[in-house]
Amino acid sequence: MSRSNTIKRLLVITGLLAVFVVMAYPLVWMINLSMRTGGESTIRFYREVWQAGPFDRYFLNSTIVVTLVLIGNILFCSMAGYAFARYRIPAGKILFFLVISTIMLPKQVILVPMYILMQKLHLLDTYAALTLPFLADPFNIFLIRQYLVSIPPDCEEAARLEGAGEFTVLFRVVMPVLKPALAVVAIHTSLINWNSFLFPFILTNSTSMRTLPVGLALLSQGQHSIDWGHMMAGAVISALPVVVAFLIFQRQIISGLTSGMTR
Amino acid sequence: MEPTRIIQTKRRGLPPPLMFLLPWAVVYAAFFVFPFVFSFLLSFLSYNPLSTQETSWTGISNFSRLFEDPDFQQALRNTLLFVIVTVPLTTAAALGLALLLRERVPGRDLFKAGFFLPSILSMVVISLLFKLFYAPTGALNGALTTIGLGGHPWLTDPRTALPAIMLMDVWAAVGYYAVIFFAAFTSIPDELYEAASLEGSGTWSTFRYVTFPMLKPVIGFVVVINTIRSFQIFIEVFVMTQGGPLGSTNTLVLYLYETAFRKLDYGYASVIAYVVFLLSGVFSIFAIRRLKPSYTAAKKAV
Repeated sequence: MSRSNTIKRLLVITGLLAVFVVMAYPLVWMINLSMRTGGESTIRFYREVWQAGPFDRYFLNSTIVVTLVLIGNILFCSMAGYAFARYRIPAGKILFFLVISTIMLPKQVILVPMYILMQKLHLLDTYAALTLPFLADPFNIFLIRQYLVSIPPDCEEAARLEGAGEFTVLFRVVMPVLKPALAVVAIHTSLINWNSFLFPFILTNSTSMRTLPVGLALLSQGQHSIDWGHMMAGAVISALPVVVAFLIFQRQIISGLTSGMTR
Repeated sequence: MEPTRIIQTKRRGLPPPLMFLLPWAVVYAAFFVFPFVFSFLLSFLSYNPLSTQETSWTGISNFSRLFEDPDFQQALRNTLLFVIVTVPLTTAAALGLALLLRERVPGRDLFKAGFFLPSILSMVVISLLFKLFYAPTGALNGALTTIGLGGHPWLTDPRTALPAIMLMDVWAAVGYYAVIFFAAFTSIPDELYEAASLEGSGTWSTFRYVTFPMLKPVIGFVVVINTIRSFQIFIEVFVMTQGGPLGSTNTLVLYLYETAFRKLDYGYASVIAYVVFLLSGVFSIFAIRRLKPSYTAAKKAV
């Protein structure tokens, strides 16, 4: 029994290691390409792509966009989620069903009209185009509403009896309780928007307004396309914040992105 | 409870719930409902900003073009093939990986984190990396040459380009779904396994009669989510092949992008958008039905 157990464990470890190598190998190769030239280590590619890429600008744009979208979502989705969870709203059920039904719709269906709309509003190539449509992700509203429904409204009622207004109740009483849900919202929203490609690509056209994924994709198709060192340095720069966040908040990120899928 | 609410709504201005819903409603109306309806109208229009012709109603002619357009049909075939191959492959691989992860071996958390990592990287980063990885002088051919097999121009051979991209997608997604399955395992009561082992059930029959049935809802959900995501494949082919060689990696969303933003044929592009919408919409209905009653976090297409 124990001997066959040992063999089984060895097989499992071998299997896991094999998959690990397959998963890690391309990533290690990418980092290696970005840091080596003619057999020597170098940070030249990073320096050049940062300054001339210009990945410094892309990085700034991505940071600005993610920050604005994150603030918008935390604020607006808390408000909407709270309203759906605690108030009797006329046609509330239908409205909430609308929220849910847009979670999984393919966004490509509104790509062309979104472009025309932004063009007519003269918002193409602005931070407004990169942020406004994404300020209230229906998934976040759904998440916050479900979280609130599972908590009794006792504290809110108590605050109201003490004369607190509705906004005070939301910001002073409800939002602190929402912290675990807001953490998931933050992880989900930052990740999606940091990595987002299609809409930022369509809605911008000047180098100074590109975000990291867009700048990186264009780098691969421009004059640099044969220049592997620069491309991989750009890829590492784009991935680095996500990877660092993952190393620090590994547990929260994994459970935030997968929790509840299993009920 | 009710009296306080009545007092609240007697204040001036909008009642609180409507005020709370307002920011979302504005964003939703302006940047979802309006474009969505607009897109529906566009699909019945001949609307091309470059053309000298006036914008005009064309009835269903944009729709009938689908049936005479070999490029569209190739894109549709490729997209369906991509979904039909990658979804079962990813699901099966993720299940296998989750079964391995279930054994309590040293370094398990490290393995789990390592497998999960690719799923949080931008698809642009992954596609770019694999464009070089599959290149004639890339790492894959390097490894194949080392073990005595010849290299192959994976992405420029029409027969291997799409399969190469499919394998990359499995690589990128398998860890994410494996972790979901792994979490689902922990919700299976231990008693079931104890009972199975008392009955003398072997590894395979335990999986077949205990693990798999308990996991069925989660597997169903994963398949649906992954199917919706896979119908939207775009970044991979845009970065790696631009749909080539010979249209062998052209996909619906890539064709939608080309039609709209290279040919500026907005009307026809909207029709293609609706094909994507309907194909994955069918699966969305399943997903929503499961999403609604359960407390669920679903990751959207990134």
